[in-house]
Amino acid sequence: MSEKPTVEEYLKNIQDSQFKAYKCVDCGMVIAPPSGSCYGCGSSKMEWANVSGKGKLVSFTVIHIAPDEFAEETPYYIAIVELAEGTRVSARLLGYDPLKPEEVKLGSDVKLDYEDTESGKKYLAFKPA
Amino acid sequence: MPLDNSNIVSAAQTKFGALKGVTLREMFSEAVDKATVDAGVPKKDIQAAFIGSFIPEMLVHQGHTAPLLMDFAGMKGIPATRHEDACAAGATALRAAVMAIESGMYDTVLVAGVEKMTSVSTNKATEALAAAADDEFESSMGLTFPGVFGIAAVAHMQKYGTTEEDMARVAVKAHKNASTNPLAQFQKEISLEKAMTPRYIAWPLKLFDCSPISDGAAALVLTSTEKAKQYTDLPVKITGTGQASASMNLCDRDDLTSFSASVDASRTAYKMAGLEAKDMDFAVVHDCFTIAEIIASEDIGFFKPGEGAKAVNDGVTARDGDKPINPMGGLKAVGHPVGATGVKQAVVLYRELLGDAGPNQVSKHDTAIMHNFGGTGATAVVNIMRRADA
Repeated sequence: MSEKPTVEEYLKNIQDSQFKAYKCVDCGMVIAPPSGSCYGCGSSKMEWANVSGKGKLVSFTVIHIAPDEFAEETPYYIAIVELAEGTRVSARLLGYDPLKPEEVKLGSDVKLDYEDTESGKKYLAFKPA
Repeated sequence: MPLDNSNIVSAAQTKFGALKGVTLREMFSEAVDKATVDAGVPKKDIQAAFIGSFIPEMLVHQGHTAPLLMDFAGMKGIPATRHEDACAAGATALRAAVMAIESGMYDTVLVAGVEKMTSVSTNKATEALAAAADDEFESSMGLTFPGVFGIAAVAHMQKYGTTEEDMARVAVKAHKNASTNPLAQFQKEISLEKAMTPRYIAWPLKLFDCSPISDGAAALVLTSTEKAKQYTDLPVKITGTGQASASMNLCDRDDLTSFSASVDASRTAYKMAGLEAKDMDFAVVHDCFTIAEIIASEDIGFFKPGEGAKAVNDGVTARDGDKPINPMGGLKAVGHPVGATGVKQAVVLYRELLGDAGPNQVSKHDTAIMHNFGGTGATAVVNIMRRADA
């Protein structure tokens, strides 16, 4: 893995179940998904950061109608999760019944996981902690 | 300072809907004819064209659309540029035209928007629409547009207690208003029970929370104040305009219950016009989903954050309410041919402000606001308009 993070490697890390965030070299802000410049200080110097994998559920939806590529996977959750490091990511949400979304509580503790699909593609995911 | 030189002297739209057998260029040409020759503006007077269209490359396999469309409409030769900012394409085209007139470069320009969406399958159209979200970081995990607004709805419900029934009431209102609009895709009222049919698209959004896939075009002519006199005694003036951007990714936003670009664009537009939300007689907002109307009504300052749903329930935003919103039916029931929508919203303001909206006429119509946003809300455009004699 190169020292200077790239979007291609960020996406590959997820496929390899090795999620890593970006981190601003100048101010230390942890950023994911990638940004070319730091939201905190504007610097464009980035490095890789390991994350704890701990997060909180910010919001979610359950997709029932999807483009062809995802149609077989419906219904599925997509969530916004705030990582303990402060940054927020979009991810699949596992471990909850997609037909009982009213039982999902915002603010719940979740932890990093990955979802494998039949096509071999992997999604960034979270499950109840 | 309020803008003083941007005058809409004519404005028109085609019918919106699944327009079988009508191609992109034909819809465009029909709207342009209505807004020019049919309205007493000779095509030869038009000096430049600003055209909104989102993604004809995927929908009708056609790029470089501006010269193609202008040629078909009998106006080749003049500068013609397409604007693409997802669902805000029409309003960014209009804003570019405003800047062109205000700069003094042109006296008379055409603004138009067009989209042909039903020539591909619904799944293909959904895929094309998804291109307006961040492909690498969000769409590629299966987040759809209804999903984006489903996430906003869940956050709004959690923070403010907004309910699925509140959202359904927005749909009921939209269909009621569109029932008397002959240009609307759906000209039929629906009951609250029907709007609540649990056919989920992206929970908690159901079928009737979503705007449809549509074909259609809209056009208007914008002139300087001096030129306007040639065409009409009563133009509609654009006195304030604002545009803002925000992160494409929902996950990069601190607040999912509001769209910051809408807030920023509306504050800019109000400031330019020297007016506030309380000065607006009515609003046309981007109700691609019912929750989007509730949030927009808060973002443009009509209601405090969290009070948009109550306003719908109390009838405040009904056509005969104190603050009518989308009095002709909105995107939800009139249809949402993406690139046409921002221009169509200006057409609605023009007609309502002039008192030319027939059964859909609002009672107070001196000053109004239009709000058009793109994709996940990453682009927003807000314009303040008033009738020239108001």
